[in-house]
Amino acid sequence: MRKAVSRIRLQRLTRRFGSVTAVDAVSLDVADGEFLVLLGPSGCGKSTLLRMIAGLLAPTEGRVLLGDADITDVPPRRRDLAMVFQSYALYPHLSVARNIGFPLRARGWSRAAIREKVAEVAAALDLTELLDRRPRELSGGQRQRVALGRALVRDPGAFLMDEPLSNLDAALRAGTRAEISALHKRLGATVVYVTHDQVEAMTMATRIALLDKGRLEQVGTPAEVYDEPASVFVARFLGSPAMNLIDATVAATAAGLAARAREVELPLGIDAETPERPVVLGVRPEHLAIAGQGAEGGIRAVVEAVENLGSEEVAHCRAGEARVSVRGPRPLGLRDGDRVRLTARPEHLHLFDADSGRRLAWRPAPVTTPA
Amino acid sequence: MVTGAFVEVPPAAQAAGGAADAPPAGARSRAPWRALWRRAVRLAPPYLFLAPALVLLVVWTYRPLAQTFYLSFFSWNLVPDVPMVPVGTANYERLLTTPDLADSVGLTFVVIVAMLPFTLVLPVVVALLTRRVRGRAAAAYRALIFAPMLVAPVAGAAVWQWLLDPSAGIVNTLLGTGTNWLNSVDTSLWAIIAITGWHVAGFAVLVVSAGLTGINPDYAAAAQVDGASRGQITRWVTLPLLSPTLAFLLLMTVLLSAQWTFPLIDTLTQGGPVGSTTTVYYLLWEYGFRSHDAGLAAAAGVLFFAGFMLVASLLARISDRLSRYDD
Ligand SMILES: Nc1ncnc2c1ncn2[C@@H]1O[C@H](COP(=O)(O)OP(=O)(O)OP(=O)(O)O)[C@@H](O)[C@H]1O
Ligand SMILES: [Mg+2]
Repeated sequence: MRKAVSRIRLQRLTRRFGSVTAVDAVSLDVADGEFLVLLGPSGCGKSTLLRMIAGLLAPTEGRVLLGDADITDVPPRRRDLAMVFQSYALYPHLSVARNIGFPLRARGWSRAAIREKVAEVAAALDLTELLDRRPRELSGGQRQRVALGRALVRDPGAFLMDEPLSNLDAALRAGTRAEISALHKRLGATVVYVTHDQVEAMTMATRIALLDKGRLEQVGTPAEVYDEPASVFVARFLGSPAMNLIDATVAATAAGLAARAREVELPLGIDAETPERPVVLGVRPEHLAIAGQGAEGGIRAVVEAVENLGSEEVAHCRAGEARVSVRGPRPLGLRDGDRVRLTARPEHLHLFDADSGRRLAWRPAPVTTPA
Repeated sequence: MVTGAFVEVPPAAQAAGGAADAPPAGARSRAPWRALWRRAVRLAPPYLFLAPALVLLVVWTYRPLAQTFYLSFFSWNLVPDVPMVPVGTANYERLLTTPDLADSVGLTFVVIVAMLPFTLVLPVVVALLTRRVRGRAAAAYRALIFAPMLVAPVAGAAVWQWLLDPSAGIVNTLLGTGTNWLNSVDTSLWAIIAITGWHVAGFAVLVVSAGLTGINPDYAAAAQVDGASRGQITRWVTLPLLSPTLAFLLLMTVLLSAQWTFPLIDTLTQGGPVGSTTTVYYLLWEYGFRSHDAGLAAAAGVLFFAGFMLVASLLARISDRLSRYDD
């Protein structure tokens, strides 16, 4: 019953406001049935990008394609997309039933058909008792569901959602997150979902697109962007507490390559030689292990504070100029002022270029026999 | 063998010791008059801030209102030496039996209805059409449209009298007619209405524009995505959300049309010809300051006041109901 062509393609989409480039040459291919999350800090251009897809904002450059059709210049009402706004934008003067039925009314459906379809959607979203109320008589979660209902009522080609959960409290947010995910699975619909919340992104997305200052930093599955961040920005943005990033130097040692800084020497597990080069060394707090004091290597740090997260503890330490946090099951057995030695497995170490911040990968050079 | 029992852990507040909750023994109440004085000093400022406005209201509005009510039961010709003669309700009886009153009420009604295109229809259309004008152009166009409001009614009247002159006026020249606009029974009221409309339309446009700016643009964006056309968005979203503003303008028109027209009537037609521009206020003014019948004028004033009060409360209730969905 659903149309097959709801693949959305963005080609070098750009939007400038005066001298500000809100969205900078973003190219993205959203496959049919995908749940793509646009993730990024506040002001990085997520809403601008979404509004351009919806047609509410004209791009300065670039194209938007839905299926095979170029819809860059098509007005929003002919795009066959449904959008859930951050503010929900429920029409305040209309009842819940009329809000949900609005898209059908605009399409000239008969009253009876609208009533039937609205009843069906309301039942699915548990809104049946609220149909006669006005939006101001609803709680935040109920409003959110009405906004969702208004999007669902007309089987659109794709759903666009702009931080639909940001106005809900933590408990409701977790519940609604699961509901939206289930809905996506049931409908198999294409969803482009904007958020600045990494938990939402990690739990709901089939793919995450990370934006920074209008530019696309990385696109990948949640596991990919978490396990192999493409840049320092991505590494810092995902994970809580954020990945430890230490200015270091890669150098050859007796035991192969290692990343070195003051009080830091971590082997990279590569038995090779390479010219020394400055890097940013990254390691996630949960990948650091507390080792005995005796041995050499690792990160020698002093504990500055210990945070209790309930099930886990985070120890904030100082190693040379760098700050390092360690995360592990409670109790970690650390106290303020303790000296610790931290180690990490080579596969858990990330290296980034010191200047560009891009991820570095090891490429063995072709074997040359020494003369 | 060791024995024992589980005991409940007391809540934190109790565990901290109950004694801390009692007020400190030193804080005994002082002399009651001092406490009262302190309270008065603490509560006084808001009323002090209100006082000047309240005093002015009482002196210039409520006291004259009460005096008018009092005066409406006397016969008096406004001459200070002549005593006021109490006549009971005779003034009201006279007022209600002359045809003047009904005629002027009818005329006022016509004025109000005929003002609506200038205060509601035209402003909504203009404000909707000029919504996209921004920046310097918007400032210029606002100044232009607001300018008539700044022209003193009497000065405007003089200019219009000249424009509407039956022999040399530019209006007749342009229309190729020889109508005596201000002095014929058929046209005088309409001329007054048109001039008043020219006066107030700009103000109404500004009010509607402000109302439009106050509507969250997300509603229109949502309606666009929902598939509504421009006309549908205007009819189904914008105008309903604008209804509090429109109700306000309606209220202004109903209550103030007679006042807006008064200076023009007074300078251009003096209520004529043959009473064709005698609205309620002009009638009141004629009773009081032409016929020097202060009692009758006061009675008319009281009646009009009551009438407008009734209409206003009705409209206020309607507009209340309209704007209650505001978030
Ligand atoms: N109408 C506008 N005029 C000028 N600048 C704008 C306009 N809209 C957005 N911007 C700018 O574009 C940038 C991106 O804005 P956008 O609203 O897309 O951010 P966002 O990622 O959605 O942020 P948030 O998470 O806070 O909603 C910001 O720097 C913002 O100031
Ligand atoms: Mg946003």
